[in-house]
Amino acid sequence: MSRLHCPFCGPRELREFRFHKTLPTEPGTAFAGIYERIDNPELSVEHWQHVEGCRGWLRVTRNPSSGAVLETRLLGGGVA
Amino acid sequence: MRHYSAWSLLRARLAGNSHWQPLWSGQSLQQAYDVVVVGAGGHGLATAFHLARDHGIKRVAVLEKRLVGYGNVGRNTTIVRSNYLLPENHYFYEDSLRRYETLSRDLNYNVMYSPRGVVDLALSDDDFPGLARRGNALRLAGIDAELMNISALERFCPELEPRRSRRFPILGALVQRRGGTVRHDAVAWGYARAASALGVDIIEDCEVTGVRTRGEVATGVETNRGYVQAERIAFATAGHTGMIGTMLGVPLPIETHLLQAMVSEPVKPLLHTVLVYVAPGHAETYICQSDRGGLVMGGHLDGFPSYTREGQWDRLEDVVQGAVELLPQVGALRILRQWAGTNDMTMDGSPIIDRLRYDNVFVNAGWCYGGFKAIPASGAACARFVATGTAPDLIKAFRLSRFATGHLLDERGGGPFPARQ
Amino acid sequence: MSTIVRRGTRVQEGQIRFHYDGREYFGQPGDTAASALLAQGVRHFGRSVKYRRLRGVMAAGSEEPNALLTVGTRPAVIPNVPAPRLTLHEGLVLRSQNRWPTLSVDLASLLQIGGGFFGAGFYYKTFMWPNWRTYEPIIRRLAGLGEAPGACELPPVAVENCSCDVLVAGAGAAGLAAARAAARAGATVVLCEREPVCGGELEFEGGTIEGRESLNWVAATLTELAGLGARVLTDTDLVGGSDGQVVLHRQRGGIAGADTLYRVRPRSVVIATGAVERPIAFIDNDRPGVMLLGAAECYLARYGVRVGREAVLFANHDRVYAAAARLAAGGMQVRAIVDTRSASTGVGNSLRAELERTGTQCLSGHAVIAVEGGREVRAVRVAPLAGSGPERRIVCNVLLQSGGWSPNTQSGAQDGGAREYSPGLAAFVAAEQPLWRAFAGTANGRLELCDVLADGQIAGEHAARQAGCATGAGAGAVTAIDARGDGAPRLVAFWRSPSPPQLEKKQFIDLQNDVTVADLRTALAEGFSDIEHVKRYTTLGIGTEQGATSAVLGAAILAELKGVPPGAVGISRPRAPFAPVTMQSLAGLRVGSAFRISRRTPLHAWHAAHGGVLESSGLWLRPRYYLANGPDAFTAGIAEARRVRATGGIVDGSTLGKIEVAGPDAAVFLDSMYLSKASTIKAGRGKYMVNLREDGMVLDDGLVLRLAPDRFVATTSSGHADHMLSHFEHYRDTQWNGRAVTLTDVTEAWAVIAVAGPQSRATLQRVLGSAWHEILTRLEHMGFADGHFQGRDLRVLRASFSGELAFELHCRPGIAVTLWQTLNDAGLGPYGLEALDILRVEKGYLVSSELNGETTPHDLLMDGLVKLGNPCLGRELLDRPGLHKPARPRLVGVRARDGRSKFLAGAQLCTENERTHPVGYVTSAVFSPTLDQWIGLALLARRLGEDTQLLARDPLRGGDTPLRIVPAVHFDPTGERMKQ
Repeated sequence: MSRLHCPFCGPRELREFRFHKTLPTEPGTAFAGIYERIDNPELSVEHWQHVEGCRGWLRVTRNPSSGAVLETRLLGGGVA
Repeated sequence: MRHYSAWSLLRARLAGNSHWQPLWSGQSLQQAYDVVVVGAGGHGLATAFHLARDHGIKRVAVLEKRLVGYGNVGRNTTIVRSNYLLPENHYFYEDSLRRYETLSRDLNYNVMYSPRGVVDLALSDDDFPGLARRGNALRLAGIDAELMNISALERFCPELEPRRSRRFPILGALVQRRGGTVRHDAVAWGYARAASALGVDIIEDCEVTGVRTRGEVATGVETNRGYVQAERIAFATAGHTGMIGTMLGVPLPIETHLLQAMVSEPVKPLLHTVLVYVAPGHAETYICQSDRGGLVMGGHLDGFPSYTREGQWDRLEDVVQGAVELLPQVGALRILRQWAGTNDMTMDGSPIIDRLRYDNVFVNAGWCYGGFKAIPASGAACARFVATGTAPDLIKAFRLSRFATGHLLDERGGGPFPARQ
Repeated sequence: MSTIVRRGTRVQEGQIRFHYDGREYFGQPGDTAASALLAQGVRHFGRSVKYRRLRGVMAAGSEEPNALLTVGTRPAVIPNVPAPRLTLHEGLVLRSQNRWPTLSVDLASLLQIGGGFFGAGFYYKTFMWPNWRTYEPIIRRLAGLGEAPGACELPPVAVENCSCDVLVAGAGAAGLAAARAAARAGATVVLCEREPVCGGELEFEGGTIEGRESLNWVAATLTELAGLGARVLTDTDLVGGSDGQVVLHRQRGGIAGADTLYRVRPRSVVIATGAVERPIAFIDNDRPGVMLLGAAECYLARYGVRVGREAVLFANHDRVYAAAARLAAGGMQVRAIVDTRSASTGVGNSLRAELERTGTQCLSGHAVIAVEGGREVRAVRVAPLAGSGPERRIVCNVLLQSGGWSPNTQSGAQDGGAREYSPGLAAFVAAEQPLWRAFAGTANGRLELCDVLADGQIAGEHAARQAGCATGAGAGAVTAIDARGDGAPRLVAFWRSPSPPQLEKKQFIDLQNDVTVADLRTALAEGFSDIEHVKRYTTLGIGTEQGATSAVLGAAILAELKGVPPGAVGISRPRAPFAPVTMQSLAGLRVGSAFRISRRTPLHAWHAAHGGVLESSGLWLRPRYYLANGPDAFTAGIAEARRVRATGGIVDGSTLGKIEVAGPDAAVFLDSMYLSKASTIKAGRGKYMVNLREDGMVLDDGLVLRLAPDRFVATTSSGHADHMLSHFEHYRDTQWNGRAVTLTDVTEAWAVIAVAGPQSRATLQRVLGSAWHEILTRLEHMGFADGHFQGRDLRVLRASFSGELAFELHCRPGIAVTLWQTLNDAGLGPYGLEALDILRVEKGYLVSSELNGETTPHDLLMDGLVKLGNPCLGRELLDRPGLHKPARPRLVGVRARDGRSKFLAGAQLCTENERTHPVGYVTSAVFSPTLDQWIGLALLARRLGEDTQLLARDPLRGGDTPLRIVPAVHFDPTGERMKQ
């Protein structure tokens, strides 16, 4: 895995992005959202930011065992 | 177990290879055990060894998916130290370091404990209070620590050339002289051999796929080689702990991240200590020279969850940049290999040793960066916990409930973001 | 000095002088260190690391395990350079390795006597009494190959980014065919080749391709590629990378120097990196004079060097006969060919008959079982493999062996690539690969020239298609390339010659690490049977050549000892980098002063020119103090702080993070981010605000200014600016789903000059002009006003980080120096971080020492802010009981009980009767000129009463200092001074 496809900027090198956190598969309480993870080695839903690009926040769905990126979505929209 | 010594080597010279015996092997998987330990890494093997030696538990098995010592115990940068800030951590790691000091003789296997000093470098005046806070806490706990100014550092580590002009000047260091390195594979093999000699069954290529339960009690584990009955089960599966949580239906405050290490071509002695360098805009570089002569380096996590064990090239560059900045004389040396381990990163950067859902199921995990240096203490404490049902004081703080209750052990103040711990 | 001019594909006429082990030698332009020394009869290139056995050259490329030299003069030596890759240049200084005092007389070679003692893993079994540390220094000096460099004088590496449709690695027959096919299909092509010239084995194998002599075909193909715009990089290795990015490393002349690191973004990749010839294990197979057959051919064709006068060839395939003919034609006497196969057939036979006519003895079904000669090959012993025929002794001075070829597949194991054992080839070949990567030619297990070329062409066309290039009407229907080269090798796997068990310790597998067959047996006897275990236990294949000649051989012999096929043993996993890369090259441009950027404020040049002592604060460079105020930080800091309280001063606060938050929802957004509400701030006012991390810890504090109903500027601490912006953006885009808030980092759009001290207002009124006079009089604490200075934007905020009457001037960077100079001229001298720290500790203001990620708002006396009840981010988890237990810390002020003793930040706090269990620590400590004593802030267990007698314990830097607890605000607790 050396690239992410930013929906705004296109395929860009991984070094431009910063991983933030994985999302719990079943969002529950604030505590669960922050601390608890149900591990799935085939599927990880994550928040990343294109910090050295458009600064968009992305919801990235990946397979952490193969490195394959399954889906990248731009969050929010970032426009007032 | 055949005792190892210079004499045994000499006898082997005369008798040939028939002199040697397998370090572990020959055991077949039994149907039932008093304790099944899952994972033949450092922690699993050490736990099994202490269960057999200290607690006289006869029927102990270590079930391993792949090979003895194939995981992080053989993929780290071999550094041992106990210079942690929080008392819960430094008393624990000090126990571990003390055990490392005598481990070669305890196991009759040379693990090559080399107390060459671990040097945490200070790059600005603002770094000193933090280093002093940690060093003072260590000293009051009876653990060795020294705060060196630049002159002392120059004497201790002349190869660093502390006065050389750098982007970030080196002003001093917190040094733990008893910290150093231990030959990583030897720890796994030494514990495996010693445990095997005490009757522990070490079963490789045996993957645990499930836990069978009756009510609130676990009765055994399902494996690719059939069902194994167990009075107690202890998981020590490092980067695969998250999967164990999933298997048992327990969410865990753990993410699995990659940590890389790399080694240069071997050269004659060049660096005599372990250097730890954290600079602004640079994640981290720790570097030492193995007895074989290669410079062994590591840094920060790759930065996102992964099971691939294929490290990111960018991280390799970041680590090497730190090494060349620190020791410009190594610029012409070549990197030969890089490798990566899957680290069980917790939400506060400290480990978890606790029961997991069932009264007779234990988990020993969340070692983040500290797994290798923790092995001897973890094995002894975890064995006591499993054998007696009561967690020894040394590991009481490592309970799983601390995240919910707020009794956090956040060594770096990084917060609930494993990628930043 | 050599008088005969040698001719070859790589050498030119001329003379180059160099030194090896103190003696002068000569070579020709284009020679390598190995070729020039071999030409002059040098056989010894070093000693092995463990047994100190004399070693010669074995190979002609980077797979060389033995002949590693230290290059250059101390201290900037470069160790472990493979002689066959090192291109000569005038005056080169070379030294052999692992010997003392000289190569021919080495003291440590006495260790050879104990050969069996030092078998695999011996160090795990001894050196335990009294401890390892006793032996380690000696062991370390004996280990470690080449000399340790004491300096590095390499120029910085060049780094180049480029992209292409198709990257082809390897410019032998397959790579050239692939590159040509891709380029013809319209793809942009980058072709990289490890050697300094293209052609691979075509350089010596002869044959014809498309009606031309091979070498002419290579030249014509390169010309065509150039015409099609392809880029050819010689001396360049593929070293790493994965999907989307490949890293190449160019190192001219085989040694670190003017290196280039390429980051290539290809759409598809063809790996045509050929194969490495394998040795065979037999007794004393490490003697100088035992070489790879292909290497001898390379030395002859490239450099005109005959590696020996009388050769015995030893192989398990048909290619040996063609090679023998070429070597004989080159003037070497081939005494015998020892073929392990029982019956040779086909093309071999006709050549064989001819060779026998010219005096070459051809033995089928035989093997070389041992070498004679202590310091170099003098003869070989040959025995039949079946039956009990006589053992022969054949005199020779070089043994050339070929046990088959191992495709270079290291770069095929990543990104889901696999490798598998091919019994026909007796080697591991690339198996399933991702779509964007294909193997071709010898690297793909093809050995016949026609197949190699066809495979390359197919791979090239496939890669071009994969990259989205049209491949024309003929797509899929490949035109075969007509070629004639060496025939099929008809290889029959043969790994090692028979040996009595006690001599297996002289059958070397990994020559660099002295791993022998006996070591594999030891490993097996001790239960290490998996290849990964064996590799770690015996050190098989972990040398500088990355196991090029030993990995497959070792796996196969392990399989033999275990009694299983090699495929069942497998091969240990290759690791990036796929070829060794110089650390300086990996560091790239980030070396020296460019290691990390330096952020400079608009006032940087002023500070530097006026004695400001600049220190790194994160990536920023900031003045700690000014030399005019004292010779060191302590003295100057006190002087500067004293002056601020007495009259006034200015400090550069430009590093302060500033985030502009705008839009209809800006106020509500900020309400959710901070402990207190932003929506209650009136336009034109600011407010001190604190925000929490998700887990309830204090993240940062700062002032939030409301510029307009829908526009705010949130300031952050300098070190947190980047993170706070991301943090805000994250919550806007997730929790808020992009509602009407824009976030803009305006940190560098505004320079900040803080003006503090009793005379600050008056001075500003004088300096800023009449338009500001009235405004400055009216401005209340936390009020601000926008206006101009010299026609440029200026915002004046009344806020204090010193406890004095103070203002922050936010101005455009272009006028910062003018404004600063004007203030300085008006009598407000500059102060630095040292004084800033004194002033803020006196007032109990917080910085990262207290906001360290471990503290809750309650710990920091912010209970009032929490009680406001604003439901902001992080509040929920603040209620966890552990965050309110009596052992949690609380911010306090501390002073020495005697009113004068010194104590420092980082001291641990203990009570008199619990002197080893700290109850807190000093977060900040300064000498206060105002209070004329050391004062500090501390985090102390809240269970302790205010009258607790404390000890500041600082064994690292001194002793114990008795302390008393005081309020965290040491000076002017009611804030009279800043309300003036």
